[in-house]
Amino acid sequence: MAKLILQCDDRAAQEYAVDKMVTIGRLPDNMVVLDHPSVSSHHACVFSDGEQCIVEDLQSTNGTFVNGRRIGRRTLLNGDVVLVGRHKLVFDQLASAPAATTAASASISNNGETVFLDNRTLLDKLFIDSDTYRKSEALSARLTDLEHVVAARAAVDGSASEPPDVGILRVIAGPTADTVYKLDKQTSLIGKAQSSLVRLQGWFKPRVAVAITRNRQGYVATLLGGRTFINSQPLNGRRHELKDGDMLEVSGLILEFRAKG
Amino acid sequence: MRLRVGAATDRGRVRELNEDVYGMRLNEGLFVVCDGMGGCTSGEVASRMALDTILSELDDPAGDGSSHGREDATYLSQTSRLAEAVRRSNQVIYDRAQQDERQAGMGTTMVGAWISDHVASVAHVGDSRAYLWHRDALEALTRDHSVDGHQNILLRVLGRTPDVDVELNEVPVQPGDYVLLCSDGLTRMVPDDAVARAIVDFGDPQAICNHLIDAANRNGGQDNITLVVVEVRGNWWRHAARRWTGRRRGGRDGQAHSAM
Repeated sequence: MAKLILQCDDRAAQEYAVDKMVTIGRLPDNMVVLDHPSVSSHHACVFSDGEQCIVEDLQSTNGTFVNGRRIGRRTLLNGDVVLVGRHKLVFDQLASAPAATTAASASISNNGETVFLDNRTLLDKLFIDSDTYRKSEALSARLTDLEHVVAARAAVDGSASEPPDVGILRVIAGPTADTVYKLDKQTSLIGKAQSSLVRLQGWFKPRVAVAITRNRQGYVATLLGGRTFINSQPLNGRRHELKDGDMLEVSGLILEFRAKG
Repeated sequence: MRLRVGAATDRGRVRELNEDVYGMRLNEGLFVVCDGMGGCTSGEVASRMALDTILSELDDPAGDGSSHGREDATYLSQTSRLAEAVRRSNQVIYDRAQQDERQAGMGTTMVGAWISDHVASVAHVGDSRAYLWHRDALEALTRDHSVDGHQNILLRVLGRTPDVDVELNEVPVQPGDYVLLCSDGLTRMVPDDAVARAIVDFGDPQAICNHLIDAANRNGGQDNITLVVVEVRGNWWRHAARRWTGRRRGGRDGQAHSAM
């Protein structure tokens, strides 16, 4: 079914299906109420005549315009922009077209309900298949806007995953299985727990003593249990940004942090 | 490490149905919030299916997950297991939506935290969020999968595609920290600084939840509101010791040692 999409600041604000007559005007008895002095009390109407939809000006003071031209009565084509006072209504005939397009247009114009935009399918359809959408200037501007937003987002996602150099912990003193540990995970633990990278041994050792977290800037050490000193300073509740050459004393182990392996 | 939890969900002031759900396994430190979408009641179905699948997939937290699907080398095994459970829930919802045309097109967001051995593994899809309150600051642990400037258009949800990219995060937690999971019905209605103030003012997780639900409704309650607040606490003897000696030196530093 064809519909009219009311735009506000070039955003779709509301949709109206053109099943019966749609009346547009300032008074509340209209189906599309545009409360603005530039709009006449009963300004215009849109109705379907067989396959076609027709817009008719109801002798309004300021006139009804389609694509910038003042009209008395006119058949609407897909993407036509109807101007009533200062309000834009975009005519969308494709609403009855294939399911994907309907879903996509719903995604774009829906303002209240959360919708899902599957960028691999719906977006492609919108941007590549439906040239008719592009003909409507307002809609295509919004879609280009979205296109940029999605592309920018993808670029951010890409850069976010670029990791810093992989750091290492070198064992200076204490009983450990290895002498060098690579900090290549998001979180590396030192403790008795099985999930620990550096396993502590002994009765009174904490299950997890320290977490070393890898982020875009580098590595951060957080105390989780027991006592830990970094460069002889106790690591308490604070997070410590590790610098090349930092010495960690963790429950009887002495470890050196190197920013590059 | 002990956890104290509060949780609440509310229909809000506008929607007719509540399509949000939350669930947890407190003993294992697993918490999940899902926000369903879809026509009629199918959003409710999707969020419930996601929650149930994730909780049941992680039913045996003692298992080390080595037999489970793809092991992600960048994360701890608990994080990989959580991700696998979320991907599984995506398949379950997707398959159901394909089979049952009444539920075609249903989907749900999810955010989950699995707090174990002082590390919170966080997984999310969509615009449900996780925050960490740490040393008097609120940090976002997730980033919405929505189009900037069009926050109602989601780029990822569970159940709408055969496969889904689950975003993961890991963060160490200390006694005094709070982990907060919520649906967008909270974050669109209540600014972050009001959330932070509620944590400071109330402290008790359930009181924080109740207060924030009220705040979201006062600000319009445009959508369903759901949140789970988890307080990370030291061991009982730490608390007892501190109370006995009456020491409260310099903020939370005194509580940070929690040797087990």
